[in-house]
Amino acid sequence: MKRSRLVSILTDVHLWVPVGVLILGIILLMSLR
Amino acid sequence: MNDNQLAAQGRSTLSLHKLGVFCGLAAAVWLGTAEAPTKLVNAGFSPFLISMGMVMGAFVARWTVPTLLKGTGFLFADLRDKPHLIVWALLAGMLWAVANTLTIFAVRNVGLAIAFPLWNTNSLVGLFWGWLLFKELRGSGFKGWAKVLGGAFAIVGGAAVLAYATAQQSNTPGRAAVGIIAALGAGVLLGTMYIPYRKAYISGMNPLSFVTIFTFGELGTVLTLSAIYMGGMGHVVSELHRARPMLFWPFLGGFCWVIGDLFQNFAAKYIGIGRGIPLSNTNQLWGLAWGALVFAEFSGLSTSGKVLIITGSLVMILGALSISTADPGASELVNWKQAMNRECERYGLDTKVVAEVVAGDDPLAQHPPVRRWWEAVIMLAATSVFVWLAIGTRSQHLAISMPWMVVLVAGTILPLGVCGTLLWRRTRFS
Repeated sequence: MKRSRLVSILTDVHLWVPVGVLILGIILLMSLR
Repeated sequence: MNDNQLAAQGRSTLSLHKLGVFCGLAAAVWLGTAEAPTKLVNAGFSPFLISMGMVMGAFVARWTVPTLLKGTGFLFADLRDKPHLIVWALLAGMLWAVANTLTIFAVRNVGLAIAFPLWNTNSLVGLFWGWLLFKELRGSGFKGWAKVLGGAFAIVGGAAVLAYATAQQSNTPGRAAVGIIAALGAGVLLGTMYIPYRKAYISGMNPLSFVTIFTFGELGTVLTLSAIYMGGMGHVVSELHRARPMLFWPFLGGFCWVIGDLFQNFAAKYIGIGRGIPLSNTNQLWGLAWGALVFAEFSGLSTSGKVLIITGSLVMILGALSISTADPGASELVNWKQAMNRECERYGLDTKVVAEVVAGDDPLAQHPPVRRWWEAVIMLAATSVFVWLAIGTRSQHLAISMPWMVVLVAGTILPLGVCGTLLWRRTRFS
């Protein structure tokens, strides 16, 4: 993958919103064990 | 492409809004039906195992009917054009897997009655992200807002009434706070999962390609979570082996789920997540129909319980009708176009081609797909898994109503045929 495309992905708010929610979801799941 | 050009190509001139509404409703039927086979699983198996069976079934099912619709050549061409979206499709699968595991905790701790409406709020979360990130509903005016938001709330409200009524049949264990948090968490995760859906479709990705990558993210995460919770992969494998006589049923559920999810993705593509997801969330009605009519789950229900079920169902239907009539106006479509342009500029996509795909006119779909020999092998292998599991299935001693089962199976296949034909005639599955 081209470096510019990688930068576009990594600076995209559409990526970090779901990633943030996923991390919170995993933390919640682990705390329920 | 205008109506005359579509007609000249022998294609339907059905509006994309109507097509999306049909897809949302067909998704509800198939996602609701996906619950039915799991009811045939006898007690004594972990909900994790049943969920994992469904995900594995969905993974295998992806390589049956969808491969028949569009070959692997189309899939690879689509992924080559938008490789960045692989990240989002995997992410969506991971979000679904974590959310689904949370729903297991929620049902275990507070019962389906409280849990279901709480995680059904995912449509409101999706609606919010659609408005914030993809400019959905912007410029739609008060009437548009009232129809969509009112419809979405009616569907969540109807779900709450239905869940309350059906809970009269079951015992609800304690540890309520944990269950409520888990259900709300699942709602947020599922609602957020629609961000990748919408992003993919305003970038011109085909739903069949998206669902393919999605199933990889989903299966990988479910296997990892199951290994963590069940004490390692060795235990997972031995539990799967023990569950072999009943594994066909969750696999069949997974098959129905893939068909439902494909329709849900087409709905998200053509009417957006704000409208498409609440419509497909009426799946609870179909799950209820299977439970009540085929499995006679509510035979001892009181009159007040029956009134609640009828009321909840009517509220849900009214909500779906409200959203179905909320066509996006010209000013809202301008905002949709801006969201599409953002993706094209950011990722160097051809705006003209993406606009064509978004409008259901994928240039790739105009040519008959090139078939490869290995597609037949893949489809044969995937079908063989289902046949092998069916042969080894032990009969389940459960009373079912055959006449109602025939009616509901017909009622499930009918929207597949109708909606599949509409999609083909209008968009060639693009």
